[in-house]
Amino acid sequence: MTATPAAAEHRAPRNAGGPVGLAANSTSKIGDRLFLGLSTGASWLILVILAGVAIFLIIKAAPAIGADWASNDALNQTVANTPGHANFWEYAGPLLFGTVWASFLALLMGAPVAVGIALFISHYAPRRIAGVLGYLVDLLAAVPSVVFGLWGLSVITGFLGPLNQFLGEYLGWIPLFGGSISAGGGTILAGAVVLAVMILPIVTSISREIFLQTPSLHEEAALALGATRWEMIRLAVLPYARSGVISAILLGLGRALGETMAIAMIVSPKLIVSFQLLTNDNPATIASNIANQFGGANDMQRDALIATGLLLFVVSFLVNFIARWIVSRTAPGVRRVRKARAA
Amino acid sequence: MQHSLTTGRLPKFIDLWVALGAIAVSAIVFASFGAIGLVAGWLVVGAILYLVAIGVLSHIVEGRRKRTDRIVRGLVVVAFLLAVIPLVSTLWTVIANGAAALSWDFVFGTEHSTFDRETFDTHTVAGIWPAIVGTLIITGIAAVISIPIGLLTAVWLTEYALPSNPVRRTVTFLVDVMTGIPSIVAGLFAFALFTLIEGPGSFSGISAAIALCVLMIPTVVRSSEEMIKLVPLELREASYALGVTKWRTILKVVLRTAVAGLVTGAVLAIARVIGETAPIYIAAGYTSNLNANPGVGPMSTLAVVSYNGYAFPDQSQPDLSHAEAWGSALVLIILVVVLNLVARFIASAFAPRARR
Amino acid sequence: MKISRLGTVGAIALVGGLVLAGCSSNTTPSDDTSSAAPGSATGLDAIDASLAGTITAGGSSAQANAETAWTTAFNSVAKGVTINYDKSQGSGGGRSNFISGAYDFAGSDAPLSADETKQAAATYPSGAVDLPIYLDGVAVAYNSSLGSSLNLTTATIAKIFSGKITDWSDPAITADNGGTALPAGKITVVVRSDSSGTAQNFTNFLNAADPADWSWKGSGTFPADITGTDAQKGGGAVASEIAKVRGSIGYLDHSALTDGVSAATVNGIEYSADAVAAALTDGATVTSNGVDGDLSITFDYSKITADTAAYPIPLLSYAIIPLEFKTPEQAKITVAYLRFIASEDGQKAAAKKAGSAPLPAEILDQVNDTLATVK
Repeated sequence: MTATPAAAEHRAPRNAGGPVGLAANSTSKIGDRLFLGLSTGASWLILVILAGVAIFLIIKAAPAIGADWASNDALNQTVANTPGHANFWEYAGPLLFGTVWASFLALLMGAPVAVGIALFISHYAPRRIAGVLGYLVDLLAAVPSVVFGLWGLSVITGFLGPLNQFLGEYLGWIPLFGGSISAGGGTILAGAVVLAVMILPIVTSISREIFLQTPSLHEEAALALGATRWEMIRLAVLPYARSGVISAILLGLGRALGETMAIAMIVSPKLIVSFQLLTNDNPATIASNIANQFGGANDMQRDALIATGLLLFVVSFLVNFIARWIVSRTAPGVRRVRKARAA
Repeated sequence: MQHSLTTGRLPKFIDLWVALGAIAVSAIVFASFGAIGLVAGWLVVGAILYLVAIGVLSHIVEGRRKRTDRIVRGLVVVAFLLAVIPLVSTLWTVIANGAAALSWDFVFGTEHSTFDRETFDTHTVAGIWPAIVGTLIITGIAAVISIPIGLLTAVWLTEYALPSNPVRRTVTFLVDVMTGIPSIVAGLFAFALFTLIEGPGSFSGISAAIALCVLMIPTVVRSSEEMIKLVPLELREASYALGVTKWRTILKVVLRTAVAGLVTGAVLAIARVIGETAPIYIAAGYTSNLNANPGVGPMSTLAVVSYNGYAFPDQSQPDLSHAEAWGSALVLIILVVVLNLVARFIASAFAPRARR
Repeated sequence: MKISRLGTVGAIALVGGLVLAGCSSNTTPSDDTSSAAPGSATGLDAIDASLAGTITAGGSSAQANAETAWTTAFNSVAKGVTINYDKSQGSGGGRSNFISGAYDFAGSDAPLSADETKQAAATYPSGAVDLPIYLDGVAVAYNSSLGSSLNLTTATIAKIFSGKITDWSDPAITADNGGTALPAGKITVVVRSDSSGTAQNFTNFLNAADPADWSWKGSGTFPADITGTDAQKGGGAVASEIAKVRGSIGYLDHSALTDGVSAATVNGIEYSADAVAAALTDGATVTSNGVDGDLSITFDYSKITADTAAYPIPLLSYAIIPLEFKTPEQAKITVAYLRFIASEDGQKAAAKKAGSAPLPAEILDQVNDTLATVK
């Protein structure tokens, strides 16, 4: 952490090393100040935008969260037509579960595959076709989420059908595969598969770029010492790429958490907490629920939906926080490598 | 325990033979159960068999380290194939369904209907030119705003702000949070913002662009930050040692070295938002008429047209809606592919050395 | 000075009137629109070709296809008017945008609620009215592989959709079909995951006609606590799902039926434009929201089901407009458009394009009466 470029520059003396005659002139000073100003301004702008979004969400959501749901017909009946929501949390709880569960499944399926692909392109594929392969995977990023929804509906739900039947028949005693198997295929499994495919290009592209940037000196040194390819990757590439790959995965997670259309089109949602993967009664995600209910919602109901959006905001916050904390706690190898480089 | 330098070696194409063998065995097993049609099933089982077989074989002949190496190689290849399959499947589905819809009139025409007074029939002819224009304008504005902001923020985070600076930690953290904003909420935010500024009824292209910015910026910042961090310190130090000022160093050394990765991040961000529907129709409404003015009036994009064709089909002309849905999806993919090519060309033009 | 200017104006008015009269009597009249004098022309003939401006509207997607027909037909005469109808907002979005002043009129499957009427009064001091402009029916649709005909009574429908009947060979279904038992098979109930006027009208009907089996209040969202239902987003998706899954049944706009999906007869009554118009005539009562000229309609399902010629599940969609527009020009073009919609020509065009049922003449007259009061 101490070896960022900013810190390195900070440690170096001012006007480091250059001949006296070439000291910074006034244009460069202005250039420096301008650039610094622009960069700082950009960062502050982001803070302002985010604050704006947060304020907007809070203002809109507050009335719904604070309202007395039991007595408010609009809220406890027609947002879900499910009588008996005592308060906002009873309504939003299952939605929160659904969001986290779907994203978790997607990440479970997608992240390892994505890192594997990135490794393949950067270290295993023949040089000549690596570029083409990388480009092919980037093509997946070109596909809009609506198309993934359409594809999921026309291909994946049908494709998973026999698998659903098989799992339900033979492995139905496992809670994950229990319940009444969906005939149409609009299961959370199908949704998670499509989500996994959607986050693949993000995680792969960034991981690939990071793997490609490993100093070849380190790689060649490992190989010269007789390491197999996998050992070389484990010793030289992965520690170097660790934080970047985590960032890439978190970006993918963010995408999965916020994905609206594809899930709304594929998954058959109910407002329940369920771990069963293969039925028609799947937990809805916050984003897809907003997309589904927004068109028919009146003012108060819209506020309730926006309140769930605020909840999603907070959840992203927490998930990122926890992930980054875990990364910083479990990176002793990185620290050693970084310290050695900085020394 | 064999010494790793003196183990035997498996013959050259053993991977291929074992793979074919494993798949064949698996197919035979499935066929004997009468389930040969379950292609995915026997391919998956075949892959697992391959990994087990090659692992055992390699362990016996070549030793533990080589065995791990071979298994990892197998896993990585399997991962790649797993990516290629949905890609091919998606592209195939879109092309098969959408290619028939593509025609000069469809791509460059505006949707128009004719009404027959005698029979009271209304006949609609699809045209997605307004959607193409809308996509380019809205995404273009969003990109022009987000990419500089994202890039400059990434520069600040890596080059200027000290790790101990609390603002830096806050910005990093909040950017992470921003990645999780659902697209529909971004649309609502932009709509509310413009209602505040311009009053009710402010559907406009720029409103949608602002919504897209909210979605793009985190991706640009995160990926750029990672790319910039990867530029070796030695390059910067060499540059400072030569007396080059800080901003010139950043611009000409750091950013140029990282340009390929920066471009990838930017293209990723654009590709993500170009396919959004919810924020567009909330902030920019919908129209089938051509509107090239981003400041005023509803605008449609290819993604919205595609979704509308699927979700609100015209019952009297179902083929029309089918064509609209898949045809505009295909045009959108082609657009992003072209964008990707252009971006890579730009990146390779700016890059300081030959990229792998 | 004054007199000659008066004379000029008078001359223009006279010429204008003559031209208009000439126009409306030159067009070939269709069977029933009379072209005696400009004032009494209806439908296409009554449209003023000189109108120009933009109408911004949106809301219900049920009306969307009809709006395409109306817009096209209207534009075939009044070429200067641009009409933007946004079907992706949904009825709630349409009402919300209307209340905020963004829309000239909103298409909505439900009239403004009491709260919304109050909010609308804040933007439009003279108030806003709901005018029925689109009539259709809710079809109980099933996968065609089940057979070419299927009859279901109200009670059976309520039991199927609430999950009490789960197999096609159930005795209740057999009884409904004259004793012929259907082959056994699981019933998959397909419903909408998003909110819609179709669900509203369907659940209103079930709750009113069979409260013993269907205890949920009528709502735009299908009850989420009924487990096992296959929920799809959008009417088109429901139709494709029913076509795809053997043994499935669901509720749809009748105009959304596609290949592979058939409509069941409800209590022996088949859907037809006449049947659903009869339902409107029998059971529709105007329950005004308090503003003069409002035509919000409530259905008395007991009266509808009592008539064996009336299709029991009608679906009505409204146009919500203010009684006073911001500018008289806007009022002129919007009223002209709505007047066309509420004419026989307009209803005929919609029926051809969207498969809806033309509204009965009595309702159209009431709509036109209200339109006459709009400024």
